[in-house]
Amino acid sequence: MPKITFNLNNKDITITTAYNRRLLDVLREELGLTGTKEGCAIGECGACTVLLNDQAVNSCLLLIGQVEGQNVLTIEGLSTKGELHPVQKKFLKHGAVQCGFCTPGMILSAHALLHKNPSPKEEEVKEAITGNLCRCTGYKQIIDAVMDVTKG
Amino acid sequence: MIPELQFSRPKTIREALNLLATPGQNNRILAGGTDVITGIQMGSKRFSRIDLLIDINQIPELKTITENKAHIIIGGNVTFTELIENPIARQKLPLLVKAASTVGNLQIRNRATLTGNFVNNAPCADSVPPLLVYDALIKIESQNSGRELPLQDFLTGTYKTLIKPNELVTEIRIPKADTELRGDFYKLGRRKSVAISRISLAVLAQIEEDKIKEIRIASGAVTPIGERFPDLEKWANGQKISDELLKLLAKKMAEKITKANGLRWSSTYKIPVLQQTFYQLLKKVTD
Ligand code: FES
Ligand code: FES
Repeated sequence: MPKITFNLNNKDITITTAYNRRLLDVLREELGLTGTKEGCAIGECGACTVLLNDQAVNSCLLLIGQVEGQNVLTIEGLSTKGELHPVQKKFLKHGAVQCGFCTPGMILSAHALLHKNPSPKEEEVKEAITGNLCRCTGYKQIIDAVMDVTKG
Repeated sequence: MIPELQFSRPKTIREALNLLATPGQNNRILAGGTDVITGIQMGSKRFSRIDLLIDINQIPELKTITENKAHIIIGGNVTFTELIENPIARQKLPLLVKAASTVGNLQIRNRATLTGNFVNNAPCADSVPPLLVYDALIKIESQNSGRELPLQDFLTGTYKTLIKPNELVTEIRIPKADTELRGDFYKLGRRKSVAISRISLAVLAQIEEDKIKEIRIASGAVTPIGERFPDLEKWANGQKISDELLKLLAKKMAEKITKANGLRWSSTYKIPVLQQTFYQLLKKVTD
């Protein structure tokens, strides 16, 4: 079986796995990183969102071989030294988490946006999360939380 | 479940073409994966029994957008996001950039490619109508040969094109217009995000005083594949612009599409909407 090396959550790792596995499968089953969720498996819900070289992508549409040599960030890599990331804190503050299934993907999409554009307008926040479906919150709390991050 | 397969990541076009020519097995290009991986995942017949997936994402030559005197040249693996953020495209291909911004959602646009969109050739491929009105040409290469042809000729039917299993689309070439062209793109989808388009239209025209000197019209989603309307264009060229003319043109267009499709259950909704949106689009472009 091939060996694949990539940077995951700021650490280089090497895994041995078959080529017919998606990044999503390897994260959840091989590496025990279950923060990344599987919803639709066809690129519509965004529950499986991770950052690939700082860009939000669906990990259900990436084969493991495609991340060789790339940087991947999952929700588990966001907090530092046990402290939540500012986006995570604001999600808690605004009650932007209900069942939580969409939350990891939602937070990573927000994080990718803020990385590129530290003071987005509300419209831009909405656009950045169009690929993340939430069945619970009605989105308002989520948008409020992201806008609040920009206020510091 | 994704069946067992081989996987390769060439670094040059040459290497990719050599891999594509591997005899006796089913070799497939993998670009953004938004059609290929979902297709394999859902067990679609079009993506069954693939022996080797050739991931072209490590080939820098396929990622560039450049221009020379006569053409704007888009590499065969440029994503929608790369197109939308590119200064040349933003300035010179506004219809294409507008269409690209309506594709799927951000995660999809970050991966899906312009070329993948028309090689897959779903009726709803959003980038096709703008490419058609821009008279896009495509460059196709294989291990031992290469050819260039109009995109319009390349698209032959729903999910069908002239591509051969050993070929790769390496460039999209858009001829630069020598006069100012005005145009717009319109898409009506069912849902806002991830909307698979139900009607998409592109119009590009050269207006001279109060006349339509030249008009190019293309549709997507409402026709079995994205297509141009040469008869209508010929009919409209040289005509004096008036509200009646635009209304008549919209009516003729709706009739054509009804004929092309046969009548479908959605026609009672689609046809009047189509006629009206096309009229509005024409009005905007000729205003
Ligand atoms: S599980 Fe990947 S987008 Fe839904
Ligand atoms: S909190 Fe339940 S899906 Fe978003």
